[in-house]
Amino acid sequence: MLEVKQLRKVYDGAGRAVEAIRDVNFKVGQGELVCIVGPSGAGKTTLLKCIAGLLAPTAGGVILEGNAVHGPPPAMAVVFQEYGRSLFPWMTVHDNVALPLKQKRMTAGRREELVSNALAAVDLANVHGAYPWQLSGGMQQRVAIARAVAYEPHVLLMDEPFAAVDAQTRADLEDLIRVLWHKLEVTVLFVTHDIDESVYLGQRVLIMSHAPTVIMEDVAIDLPDERTQLETRSLPRFGELRKHIYSQIQLAKQGWRPPGT
Amino acid sequence: MAAEATIAPAKIGAKIGAGIGAPARPGAPPKSGARTGVPAWLRGLSGLIGFALILEIVPRIGLVSPHYLPPFSAIMVALFRELMSATFWTAFADTMRAWALGLVISLAAGTVIGIVIGSSNLLRTLTYSTIEFLRPIPSVALIPLAVLLFGTQLESTLILVVYAAFWQVLIQVLYGVHDVDPVARETARSYGLGTFAQVRYLIWPTMLPYLMTGVRLAAAVALILAITSEIAIDTEGLGREISQTEAGGAVAIMYAYVIVTGIVGVIVNLGARALERRVLFWHPSMRLDAGSGR
Amino acid sequence: MSGALSLARRAGIVLALPAALIALWWVTSAGSDSFYFPPLATILHTFVTLWLSPDAIPNVVPSLIRFAVGYFAAGLIGIAVGIPVGASRKLRQTLEPVLEFLRAVPPPVLVPVLILFAGIGDEMKILVIVFGCVWPVLLNTVAGVRALDEVLEDVVRCYRIGRMARLWHFVLPGASPQIFTGLRQSLSVGIILMVVSEMFAASNGIGFALVQYQRTFAIPEMWSGIILLGLIGIALSLVFRAAEAWLLAWYHGLRRTQRAN
Repeated sequence: MLEVKQLRKVYDGAGRAVEAIRDVNFKVGQGELVCIVGPSGAGKTTLLKCIAGLLAPTAGGVILEGNAVHGPPPAMAVVFQEYGRSLFPWMTVHDNVALPLKQKRMTAGRREELVSNALAAVDLANVHGAYPWQLSGGMQQRVAIARAVAYEPHVLLMDEPFAAVDAQTRADLEDLIRVLWHKLEVTVLFVTHDIDESVYLGQRVLIMSHAPTVIMEDVAIDLPDERTQLETRSLPRFGELRKHIYSQIQLAKQGWRPPGT
Repeated sequence: MAAEATIAPAKIGAKIGAGIGAPARPGAPPKSGARTGVPAWLRGLSGLIGFALILEIVPRIGLVSPHYLPPFSAIMVALFRELMSATFWTAFADTMRAWALGLVISLAAGTVIGIVIGSSNLLRTLTYSTIEFLRPIPSVALIPLAVLLFGTQLESTLILVVYAAFWQVLIQVLYGVHDVDPVARETARSYGLGTFAQVRYLIWPTMLPYLMTGVRLAAAVALILAITSEIAIDTEGLGREISQTEAGGAVAIMYAYVIVTGIVGVIVNLGARALERRVLFWHPSMRLDAGSGR
Repeated sequence: MSGALSLARRAGIVLALPAALIALWWVTSAGSDSFYFPPLATILHTFVTLWLSPDAIPNVVPSLIRFAVGYFAAGLIGIAVGIPVGASRKLRQTLEPVLEFLRAVPPPVLVPVLILFAGIGDEMKILVIVFGCVWPVLLNTVAGVRALDEVLEDVVRCYRIGRMARLWHFVLPGASPQIFTGLRQSLSVGIILMVVSEMFAASNGIGFALVQYQRTFAIPEMWSGIILLGLIGIALSLVFRAAEAWLLAWYHGLRRTQRAN
């Protein structure tokens, strides 16, 4: 479904070359929910932007459903971390969600249907006419998620979407993602710095090293598919996985790298 | 490119339309320098050269009659000749004198009156409507009055210049005084700080950034009105030279003077901006608000 | 305090000083036989008979029409040119010195220049207004386009929003607060140029009338003309503010929310 092959990204700036990503390889199957974790400075956002087609890699590439990615592909939607800045403040919630759909060929009726369904799916059926800045942070991020969902993407990319949101809201939004993922059967790539979140959400967790980034480990999360905040997080297996990933990240912070990179 | 703001207080500001969130994105790529190899100043220079070339070629190929627009080279020749004539420098000095005097007067008046009004809530509320009424009145409306009272003397120009520049300073100073921390003010008062000490240690530092913006705006406006008055009222200065050379048909010389006014304007703008940056560089409170700013 | 009383109180505060100043003017000039400062009563009487009568139309209307045409043309040109210049770094760097120079030329200087090209008719006056008013709009549009939020930029790219939609839904609304700043500045410039161009060489118009009164020493008429210009300035300013409040309602709402946080 989605393959990242030998991805490399070097920034040229003022005489210095900064190698953000050295060699990233992984595959994501159809319908999987994969999380990416790493220490700060690991180039997580850079990686996501390369996958999303917003940034051109220096070497290697991204293949989506058999096609090479050269610019933002139509089958992909992104949810950004800065929810306050990712919604158009001069448009209502409804118009924000509807805007990307206007680019796709469809009847007005179908578009309205998608918008209503998406907003209902994120529990915001009553704020169609509000402006984003009238809503709380959590609600704004839901609107951004609704916008992505209404777009009917095959792959949903999420760049630390809940980092700037309070803990209670974050828990609700995490559950929302799992619900949507199950319902829409969409492939999700979820970048986060929160280890607990990555274990709670993902079927797999990719651990990134410090820059120049490579994938340190691909951890399979063998927790049951039915997850709740209370129960899942108190499972012993949860603790083990969490501890393992945490120690790997500590190693990464100290500069440890897989042999040969 | 800096843009003056007059709708909201011209605070040193970040982006307009930026929503709630940190200005710098985590994981954003480092800003690169000469990305494509051609430095900015070189591009700018080529723009200027291109502009001069257009001015040279258009009259020569007859697209516009050279009688209305002489070629750039002819204008340059006229300019250099003028630079060596006494008439030019007298006119230049006249304009600069009117500008400087008018600017100083409006700065002094605007600052003092601004501090007085700004420090008192009562005065501020009472004068608000008057200020908002008087401010939009174009100072050129006073031209006939100025002519009647002072003819073509310096005072006519000063009336126009001061009237226009004063408001720029006043508005900025009012915003500045408004910004003074009320707790600090109460503390100062409870320590028995006299009026002068309060102004010096409390009001002046807070107000300084705003005043600098006011200086920049007032300097530009003062120059415009000085030259306007010279054109419209015929007081001595660069503006009068322009209208006289136009009337006399000395077109190349007229354009030479036009270019000079432009250059003077650029120097005033750049100078004011540099001054503003310099003063604010060491100023402790640089507010980074999202608002209309540079 | 009841609604009516507080309204009266507010009105009182707003009108107190102006009323006092007018009263002062009235009283100090009442018995005046100074040639240049006639009694306010005379001035007001002249104002009514002169400008509030149908005879005023041949002077007032052409002025306002020329102003309107010049102002709106300048607005359109400024925005149309400002958008591409603001969007392209190369273009902006190339044009920046030239634009800085052109906008530093005091607009009234153009009056003699344009008399050369366009004579002393309506075209000259409109051209003068256009040339003078275009710079604040252009430069502020450039600033506004440059300051467009990068996150929104990414959103537009990733949802593959087309060029026209991008312009209409992103660039223009995003830059509009800054554009309005420019339009406000060019309002003041336009009024100045409207008057100056008519004082210089005209056969009708408010500026023309003012100069005539001054030359023929019709002092109360001259004063009444000054008052008229003042009122026009105030009226235009109010109309502008109303338009801005309506078109930028979203922006004011957004700023209010930001300030509250």
